[in-house]
Amino acid sequence: MVMAWELLFMFSPFIVVMAGLIGERVKIAKLREIVAIVMSAFSVYSVYNLYNMIQATQNKILIVTLGGAPPLGACMEIDMLSIYMAFSATLLGLFATVYSYSYMEHDTRLTEYYTLLSALVASIVGVSFAGDFFTFFVFWEMMGITSYVLVAFRKENWGPIEAGFKYMVMGAIGSTLLLLGIALVYGMAGTVNFAQASMVLKHQPLSIWLSLALIIFIVGFGVKSAIVPMHTWLPDAHPEAPSPISAMLSGILIETALYGLTRVLNILFEPSTFQMAIAVLAVLTMCLANILALLQQDIKRMLAYSSIAQMGYMLIGVSAGTSYGLMGTFLHVFNHSLLKGMAFLSAGSIVHEAKTRDIENLKGIGRLMPITSLCLFITLLGLGGVPATNGFVSKFILFNSAIGEGMAWLAIVGILNSALSMGYYLRVMLTLISEPIESLKGLKEAPPLMLGVTVAMATLVVLFGLWPEPVISYATEAAKALIDNLPRYIKVIIP
Amino acid sequence: MADEAIFLGTVFVLVSIGLYCATQKNMIRILLGIEMILNAGNLALVFFASRYSSMGFVDPLGQSLVFMSIVLGGCVISVGLALIVNAYKQFKTTNVRKLRRLRW
Repeated sequence: MVMAWELLFMFSPFIVVMAGLIGERVKIAKLREIVAIVMSAFSVYSVYNLYNMIQATQNKILIVTLGGAPPLGACMEIDMLSIYMAFSATLLGLFATVYSYSYMEHDTRLTEYYTLLSALVASIVGVSFAGDFFTFFVFWEMMGITSYVLVAFRKENWGPIEAGFKYMVMGAIGSTLLLLGIALVYGMAGTVNFAQASMVLKHQPLSIWLSLALIIFIVGFGVKSAIVPMHTWLPDAHPEAPSPISAMLSGILIETALYGLTRVLNILFEPSTFQMAIAVLAVLTMCLANILALLQQDIKRMLAYSSIAQMGYMLIGVSAGTSYGLMGTFLHVFNHSLLKGMAFLSAGSIVHEAKTRDIENLKGIGRLMPITSLCLFITLLGLGGVPATNGFVSKFILFNSAIGEGMAWLAIVGILNSALSMGYYLRVMLTLISEPIESLKGLKEAPPLMLGVTVAMATLVVLFGLWPEPVISYATEAAKALIDNLPRYIKVIIP
Repeated sequence: MADEAIFLGTVFVLVSIGLYCATQKNMIRILLGIEMILNAGNLALVFFASRYSSMGFVDPLGQSLVFMSIVLGGCVISVGLALIVNAYKQFKTTNVRKLRRLRW
């Protein structure tokens, strides 16, 4: 089945770049910003339309072919999980674009900025829609290239260049290793289609080539999703990027890498083959990231380490290997995209006004910027997993799933880490509410648009914390599409 | 069988050289290392495509993947070169050991 109109939003970078060029030429102020915001809102609407279309189909899977039938032509296979990831990406993209309107006001080269931002969202959607390794790899590289450029966007300072170069080298090595892994899968299965490769490889015993492919996939995806031995780019790249980009990177990009890891591992291997390795990586990731986060003085750098720790919690669900555990993982992906996106955006508002990222120099900012600080307060509570925020719900399910699979030690390590993480969140909260220091006197609240975005996200965080049923049922469907409905996923391609 | 040993051995050697180059000091050399790992992947794809031949034609799937990955590799390398130019403007060196201001 070929259809075009619902996927038109993936071409939004072209529309944004054209609007930008026209706006520069005929001097229409803010044309590109308005077009970028309209296009990102249109993306959310289109994903909602796609969701309805998928609900209407019999198998809840849509196939979009590009050039020929699935074995040879590239194809997109959109199931509930894909649409779940796409929804998270486009929603956060909308928030980040609206926020950029005020945040990036004084920067130059904004046409490039908005084009790259919408290309980043489109490529993340493409990665989650991909139905074969070929499409997947193309969008994966597109995601990488746009994010390397966006991290190094403020190229007149040394920080972004250094962080961007580090990220580029590590990310490129990761994605080239991924290509090697794809080559190995192609060599063993004779196809790059997910469904067909799954049919050939899933039930084979673990040969030396299959285990080599497993290691290569874990390393290749692990670089982008910042699993601990491969995490060193993240604490540099996140603080140095502009704040909306930090929110995109931390909120959805590393989770997209996790989506890739989960999808490929579950399609090609039995869960029992990789469970232990992922559990060990989860423990390493949580412990190291939380300890390092305690040492940070820079607020955005601390949030970046906290992202790595949250990635550790998400890996618990992957290592559980059941659809309940994966439901927790994907619920946490959505919740983390709201929480960490909001954390970076409200911290960005504070940094934007106070012109410093040092926590010591931000003492008492809560009395000068009350609304932004309240948002930061809520999101830090959510990241720590306090009840009444959505962070609590997903963490509870994650730890519960680990206990259900007989890995109680993993849940205990997770809970202890969750307690440890409150150590550095509480330090920031204490900084927010203490007496203002001299250098901050006379600060005003952030511009209304930035304030509006953070308040809207805070509302969603509390709303989904108190009323989590719709997201949970949505995430359950997404996780079931990956584990329980895998035969259906294969049957759609190979009747 | 001899073919497999030669090609996969070359792939392995290319990956090792690429990973070794990526740990070097010079930025250009790091980029060349990345390109080498990429080409190891491409070589593996071409070799596997030749194994799935039918009626004397190799499998077009692997070959088309190689074309695409060469293009994508070119994009990544050009972004990397642009970053190196900017890094040279900032730091006046192409030695990555000097890019050490971001710690912890």
